Amino acid sequence: MQETSSYTEAELIAGCVRGDRNAQRKLYEQYASRMYPVCVRYLGREDAKDVLQEGFLTVFDKIGSYKGEGSFEGWMRKIFINASLMQLRKSDVLRRTEDIEQAPETGGTVGNGVLEQIGTRELLDQIGSLPAGLRSVFNLFVVEGYSHAEVGKLLGITEQSSRSQLSRARTLLQEKIKKLYNGKQ
Amino acid sequence: MVSNDFDKRLRDRLEGVTETAPDVWEGISKGLERRRRQVIFRRFSVAVAAAAAVVALALLVFRGPRTEGEVTAPVQIAGTEQPVVTPAEIPDEPAPSETPDIAPIQQQIAAFTKKQAVAVAQKPAVTETPVEETPAVEGPAEETPVAETPVVEQPAVEQPAVDAPSLLTEDDLPADYWEEESRPRRTHTSQISILSNLTTVSSDGDLLYIPSAMHASSQSGKGQASSQVEPITATNAPKFYVPLTVGLQVEFPITERFSVGTGLNYSYLVSQYDMLVDKVMYEGAYNQLHYLGIPVTLSYHFVQTPHVGVYASASAAAEKCVSQRYVYGSNTLNEKVGGLQWSAKAGVGVEYWFIPRMGLYFDPSLVYFFDNKQPFSIRTQQPLQANFEIGLRFKI
Repeated sequence: MQETSSYTEAELIAGCVRGDRNAQRKLYEQYASRMYPVCVRYLGREDAKDVLQEGFLTVFDKIGSYKGEGSFEGWMRKIFINASLMQLRKSDVLRRTEDIEQAPETGGTVGNGVLEQIGTRELLDQIGSLPAGLRSVFNLFVVEGYSHAEVGKLLGITEQSSRSQLSRARTLLQEKIKKLYNGKQ
Repeated sequence: MVSNDFDKRLRDRLEGVTETAPDVWEGISKGLERRRRQVIFRRFSVAVAAAAAVVALALLVFRGPRTEGEVTAPVQIAGTEQPVVTPAEIPDEPAPSETPDIAPIQQQIAAFTKKQAVAVAQKPAVTETPVEETPAVEGPAEETPVAETPVVEQPAVEQPAVDAPSLLTEDDLPADYWEEESRPRRTHTSQISILSNLTTVSSDGDLLYIPSAMHASSQSGKGQASSQVEPITATNAPKFYVPLTVGLQVEFPITERFSVGTGLNYSYLVSQYDMLVDKVMYEGAYNQLHYLGIPVTLSYHFVQTPHVGVYASASAAAEKCVSQRYVYGSNTLNEKVGGLQWSAKAGVGVEYWFIPRMGLYFDPSLVYFFDNKQPFSIRTQQPLQANFEIGLRFKI
């Protein structure tokens, strides 16, 4: 169980369940920096701020339903992923396939050491700059570890489409990373 | 696999990554405050309705049976009618100069009216009229409505007979209140009501994204939008408009204080939320539900005066959704809804009869909608609701 300066995680959760504003503030301060990158990966920096706020409101609303099964951070992360996907659906970007069709199916691979030369913030920005559909599939499959069947369910696409988009996303991201790396040399 | 290696290295880089987030606490704080107020309002509404229901129940349970000597409004009515129907039998005794004790007179009149008020009205020659034993009291005969009542084809009546019941005259009754011959008491009167309901809306919604529903939508095939509508909210705060119910009910007395009622109600519910249709998210789409229902109500009338009635009631209702319509973008879609919506209601009501056969009533109550797999609405999200019904009531 993690501890904050004055609260254990359990105390923090209990305080939030009671609606204690101090506990809510503490929770926000502790997790905002961890959840924000999640939102950036799915939405880019422009929309991530709004979803960060909406996600925390949902967390405080639903925190009573957290039963201690699995990590609390993992539970929170799912809420922010969910909120990000909602935002994407609202703007209807998941349905636009023009960008996806234009993405290359194959491309060069990123060699050893290249990825390590890219800063975390730059890496997040590169992922966030992928077309919405591609980055959603990529994030869900590669980072979150969902199967193609689960990704298909979450995004309302077929399993085959998920595979195809992942391949395109991976190739496009590698291209972007290589370009960024070459620009640094 | 090169791709797997890339994925793994990328995942490792992103695991546990942190980044200074923009400060959004102020917005979160405002949102929390807004939700807190909604919760308080919801609890307050429920508490008020619950308190009303408890008071009604307590009055229902603890109020003892009415005693013979208890003076109630119906007694006053019948007592005042007395001189009109028994003029010939009034003795010519001079009115005493002293005002007698009123209580025994009222008891006698009460006893009389309970048994024979109507009979006396039809047979004025009956000699057991309590007026015989009632000392007439000096009073302003010209002020009693009875004095102005035309007694057709009756012999001239001495004024003292009119004076006697003036003890029980209710000055604030309308002038034409007594014109109806042998007007029935309230508990022997059937009623018809025209009603409208307003229900509190305090639910802030509680929906999160439902992947399985969305998946079902995506699998339902192209070009069949009718089966692809799934109520998936994109926010966790769907908007519910105030439900409206109008109806017609008939009420029949079954005992002196109990009555049963039934009728036909129409309810209209509107919800607004983001809707996914064929993988397209429509923001602020509407869902409109139309219900027809049949309620059965049992009422206990614990206060009954000519003008005011107070009662407690409990009812059950079965409602059928006769139409469900989605309005998203420029499209509309109708869907059939199966099953019935059952509900139970308890509350107290007040009625005011501003003329003898027409009155206004107000019924605050607590209503609970059972989970009968009905479409998403305020009833499924907030099954316990405070309900305020107002209407017009007519005696038939």
